[in-house]
Amino acid sequence: MNNWSYSAQRKLIMVAFLAVPLALLCMFTYYPAVRLLVQSFTDWDGISASSEWLGLDNYKEVFTNPALFGVFLHQIPYVVIGVIQNIVAILFAVILNSKIRGRNAFRVMLFLPFIMNAVAVAFMFQYVFDTTNGSLNALLGFLGLESLQQSWLGNTSIVNYSLASIGFWRFMGYNMVIYLGALQSIPNDMYEAAKIDGSNRFQTLWYLTLPNLTKIIQLNMFLTLSGALSVFDLPFVLTKGGPAGASETFLMKTIETAFQFNNFGLASAMSVVLLAFTVIILAVQNAVLNRKGD
Amino acid sequence: MRKSMLALVSTVLLASSLAACGGNDKNSGGSSAQPSPSASATSSGEATGDSGAAEISGTITFLTNRTDMIDKEYVDYAKRFKEKYPNAEVRFEAVTDLDKTTKIRIASGEFPDVVLIPTIPNSDLPKYFAPLDDLGLNDRIYFKDYKAYDGKVYGISAGATTTGIVYNKKAFADAGITEIPTTLDEFYAAAEKLKASGVVPLASNFKDQWPLYPWASEVPSSIAGNANLNNERVNSDAPYQMDNPYGQAMTIIRTMHEKGYLEPDVNSTNWEQSKKDVASGKFAMYMLGNWVIPQVADSGTTSDNVGFFPFPYDNSGKVNVALAPDWGYGVNKDSKHPETAKAFVKWMLEDSGFDAFAGFIPVLKDIEPNVPQLAEFNSFGPTYIEAVPDDEVATEIVNKAQITKEAVVQEFVLSKDPQSVFDKYNAAWAKAKSAVGK
Repeated sequence: MNNWSYSAQRKLIMVAFLAVPLALLCMFTYYPAVRLLVQSFTDWDGISASSEWLGLDNYKEVFTNPALFGVFLHQIPYVVIGVIQNIVAILFAVILNSKIRGRNAFRVMLFLPFIMNAVAVAFMFQYVFDTTNGSLNALLGFLGLESLQQSWLGNTSIVNYSLASIGFWRFMGYNMVIYLGALQSIPNDMYEAAKIDGSNRFQTLWYLTLPNLTKIIQLNMFLTLSGALSVFDLPFVLTKGGPAGASETFLMKTIETAFQFNNFGLASAMSVVLLAFTVIILAVQNAVLNRKGD
Repeated sequence: MRKSMLALVSTVLLASSLAACGGNDKNSGGSSAQPSPSASATSSGEATGDSGAAEISGTITFLTNRTDMIDKEYVDYAKRFKEKYPNAEVRFEAVTDLDKTTKIRIASGEFPDVVLIPTIPNSDLPKYFAPLDDLGLNDRIYFKDYKAYDGKVYGISAGATTTGIVYNKKAFADAGITEIPTTLDEFYAAAEKLKASGVVPLASNFKDQWPLYPWASEVPSSIAGNANLNNERVNSDAPYQMDNPYGQAMTIIRTMHEKGYLEPDVNSTNWEQSKKDVASGKFAMYMLGNWVIPQVADSGTTSDNVGFFPFPYDNSGKVNVALAPDWGYGVNKDSKHPETAKAFVKWMLEDSGFDAFAGFIPVLKDIEPNVPQLAEFNSFGPTYIEAVPDDEVATEIVNKAQITKEAVVQEFVLSKDPQSVFDKYNAAWAKAKSAVGK
């Protein structure tokens, strides 16, 4: 090998090092993804050796059956709360970016929920939202707000907001940390210049900070929206989709279709649709925010 | 909300898990396969027995799901089996994921002499299992047709379970209930007394959905007196009616919800906690299978405080109860010692005492159950309705229509207009039925 040219050796090493991760990537990401796509055109039941080619029937079913597609309505509250979550995260980031006493402690406190295991969080909130023994209703009772006490997870019109608020609690700190990082990368002389020009705090935030955060807001909104599209763990653990299906999400439906009703073909199609939605949202958001940004 | 990254990851995971299940079925199993003594075991013990048909000899292996009994009860079983058949020996191999493991072992062509038959269509039974008709048990057992094909019995259930009201005796006594209710009116009256004494009458575990299963299948079949009720849905375009058994059964739990006999907020229940609450008498009753009795007894009370009676779904005073099978014993068609294997199945059913240990109703009709709660249950003289195998077409329609039977109950109870819930599910049923084309 010694008489190989330097560039040949270089290539050999590059190929050798890349081969393993690429093989793993293909085996565990691309191959399953392709199989998923192929399966989505079949009626495979999860067991039998053969399956029938259905063409686009599964996709027609996904889009025309309100029982499948309609559950996206349940996910709107997650988007609403997600937007609020981002606004609050920016506010906290701006506040904690200034020189206030104990800011590191506050940052840690706000970020901590994100570190916790999702299922553990869900179990914890089961006790918070419990109607008879839950701490939330107990707190309301203590404050004399008995009229606000209710079945947080049993009322069809608020169950999704209750669940989404858990996500708020959990991911706000995460978004905040990302915003903080971005804030610290805004050069200080811009703020000095703004100060000299006589801008007040709100003007600084609106005309200086936010435009500089556009890219990061875009990233966080993408995470928020794609997260809202694929909510799964909280309703799965806390409500099992109840009451009467009011908190079912598309991902839960997909899993149910595959593993309870043995319709892997349709479930694959649902997964592909979810994937396509995520891509579309990303594209739309890019188009909108880029136009505004430039 | 943001599951953010996590959600992305889970989408990808879901995608890969769906796809990974593709391809052929035989290549999985690495994880659950166990070092198996069966291969050597089946070939070793051939010494004696020159193939006399009735000769009980050689070593056989039994594949079981009771990992908890290995090195404990099974040691005793092996010893007692040997006492009865000195030339024969039995070994036990336990796996946790019984259904999957057994299917893989069967697909590989080599599997232990005696197994618990996995979920395969009955039409496939003759391919793998030996008929058990010559054991002479056919007239004595429940579920003769459950694992049978073409008139031959291939599997005999290890035991039976039934469904009824599991209750806390002390809670009943404290509420002043002296007689166990035998009609629906008496049942409501008892619930009223329990409620008045500050106890939640019936723990429905509504939120968790699955504990509602009796209201969707066992109670309706009992009301109809017909175990085939769920299968006969295939003949109807509108199987759910207010005045048929489904509607009657679900109306009972709806009534109980309206009268406040269930948990204060049915959408905020907790299964694990409910067992402790039934044990402590905070909740009085469960409508579930007898499998829950030991779990309640273990949750902070004694077994003699837990009672069990048939659910009185009407006022006739007569009551049917559903009887469902546990796994069925099957004998490997290619076993080297089929007679020994069969003798072992018979021994397990007649002499082992496994049913009492597991809390089952013995599958042999002439043996009285050993569990005190089952004796109490039987003292009400219920008529047992034996479960029948699921009809493949019915299963296909259910899957196509995506009907979760417990979800029907939930919606029925919560809806302002229960008829509209039935209308919705009937429409889904009819659509799926025509799509399935049968």
